[in-house]
Amino acid sequence: VPITKAKPVIPRTEKMAFDQDWANVYPTAAAFKPSSVPLPIRMGYPASGGVSPPKEGNLELINIPNFLHLTPAAIRKHCAALKDFCTEWPAALDNDEKCEQHFPVEVETVDYVSAGPTVRNPKARLVNLRIKLSNLNLDDHAKKKLIKLVGERYCKGTDTLTITTDRCPLRRQNYDYGLYLLTVLYHESWKTEMWEKDKTEEDMEEYIWENSPSQKKVLDTLFRIKSSEKINDITKEELLTSEIVQDYRNSLVALKNEGETENNMANYKKSVKRLLNVQDFQ
Amino acid sequence: MLRSVKGLICQGPKFIPACFSQVCGKAWLSTAANQDAQMTAVFRTSEGDPANHTEEHEGQHYGIPLQELQLVFPHGLPQRFRMQTETFNEACLMVRRPALELLGYLKSTKPDYPAVRYVIYGERGTGKTMTLCHAIHYCARQGWLVLHVPDAHLWVKNCKELVPSSYKKERFDQPLESSAWLKNFKMSNEQFLKEIKTQQRYLWSKRESTEEGHPLGEVVEQGLRRVKNASDVVGVVLKELKRQCSLGAYRLLVAVDGVNALWGRTSLKKRDNSYVAPEELTLIQSLRKMVTNDWNGGAVVTTLSQTGAVSKPSSAYLPHELLRKEGFDTLDPFIPIQVYNYTEWEFESCYQYYLERRWLQHERARMDEGRQELRFLSSANPQQLERICASL
Repeated sequence: VPITKAKPVIPRTEKMAFDQDWANVYPTAAAFKPSSVPLPIRMGYPASGGVSPPKEGNLELINIPNFLHLTPAAIRKHCAALKDFCTEWPAALDNDEKCEQHFPVEVETVDYVSAGPTVRNPKARLVNLRIKLSNLNLDDHAKKKLIKLVGERYCKGTDTLTITTDRCPLRRQNYDYGLYLLTVLYHESWKTEMWEKDKTEEDMEEYIWENSPSQKKVLDTLFRIKSSEKINDITKEELLTSEIVQDYRNSLVALKNEGETENNMANYKKSVKRLLNVQDFQ
Repeated sequence: MLRSVKGLICQGPKFIPACFSQVCGKAWLSTAANQDAQMTAVFRTSEGDPANHTEEHEGQHYGIPLQELQLVFPHGLPQRFRMQTETFNEACLMVRRPALELLGYLKSTKPDYPAVRYVIYGERGTGKTMTLCHAIHYCARQGWLVLHVPDAHLWVKNCKELVPSSYKKERFDQPLESSAWLKNFKMSNEQFLKEIKTQQRYLWSKRESTEEGHPLGEVVEQGLRRVKNASDVVGVVLKELKRQCSLGAYRLLVAVDGVNALWGRTSLKKRDNSYVAPEELTLIQSLRKMVTNDWNGGAVVTTLSQTGAVSKPSSAYLPHELLRKEGFDTLDPFIPIQVYNYTEWEFESCYQYYLERRWLQHERARMDEGRQELRFLSSANPQQLERICASL
């Protein structure tokens, strides 16, 4: 066989037009091909006194996942292709609040399509149920009990309860199970059991000042202060509703529930100074 | 006994206080270069009585005579400060705003009101213990009885001898710590111990007892003689002082450094290798009773300290983190006082003090860049600044 020299191959990037259809270069998920991506990318630890290695033969660029097949133009093409299989979005639901008001429970399921020996995918049976607790009719005790029952599944920031089920083999069964869980949680949280009255201070979610040791101590201290000033006819209710004590109570509750910030500590300090009648002397 | 007279009381030409408030940083520095001799007075004040310290003295150092130091602080000062006192042959404390605030509150304590609790807190090395010492000095000068516990953490860690208490079965005594504390307490409050009489008869053993009406000094002597009873003696002393202070004969200042040790964890173990709870130590129990506010006629000044606290992260400095729920609820309502790093003025003052004492030997330390470098490295934290300057 005559030995011929291989002709030097011109990389595809040189032959690309700038208004080409990128979806043709990367129609599916593929590894990074330096000769097909017309970008001057560098990646890696820079050589001493130099820069990062270039893209040619750069293993780091090949190993990482890339989304070159999911550019906005490509996604638009996908949506256009899928449009024939979809139904119209209801025109009346044009913003998020209306969606939440009419459909408080959001059900999330995923369908998987792949070319393989079988069309089934075990991940497809997973069902996510999301609901905001403000849409449920719960009173104070019921809400606290529900949050305690679900534990990790409640997000305080967004007030969302997320129930994820995949213990049944079929998606329909998981969906029914999720709805059943929601129903049971709702009804159980409204009931009050016998043992709930043993709730101790450690179980409380937030600090309540009424009937706490702090309240007793403050009253005791105030009584002693008043008696040293020879005011003996003040009653407990008057003290409790007086502005100084209410101010102290608010600052203490804020301190305990929200944590210690500069503001909270400053308020607490001011209220205690007023309570104990301590004056600055400078 | 008597240290050398040299450098006992800081004497510098007295500057008119109005100067300071008008002078800004840079202008002050330029005058500093010119008038070296008069600069001593800018960061020093000859006002030795804390009762007269006002805002004008903020940032200035005032000196405590060394004999008074021995009397008032036999065991109270931080170790590095004590080394500095020995090196400089004088003890100079900086007057700072949190201390002035605290002194203001202490000045207005009324004898019939329940004892007010103050908690000094702040990040590591900002000067909480020194603020406490300033307050103690003021009270000592005013004639109060000072009950100073230098570091409550020492009582919950590294105890060599843990003896089961004879008074209450589940409790443990710490004879060594108690006797050390009694010795120092006696040194600072001699004449009080002679005047205060016991109100109850105390039986120490089959043959030894203290009758009613005897001076409290005798009880302390008993504790020092029979080290076995020292912890109970401490408890008795605290109880008597608290009871009699409400009668108004004297004012009592309870100063506890590292009060979060009272409610934290201990690192002491029992025979069966389980940790001792703080409630099971006699000393801790007696001290807990002292920091409540069911007595009147005095004040309780405490600091929170993370250094030395058992099992607390080094970034914890807020009251709730260090005191835990139990401690916070016991001390509540208290007045929190926060101590910060040095301000520009205070940093200048400290720097000039070190220069004047010839502590900074490096040539670059005298120059402006050196000063800025020190400021940057220490980020105006008093403890860091002291450590960095120590090696210069």
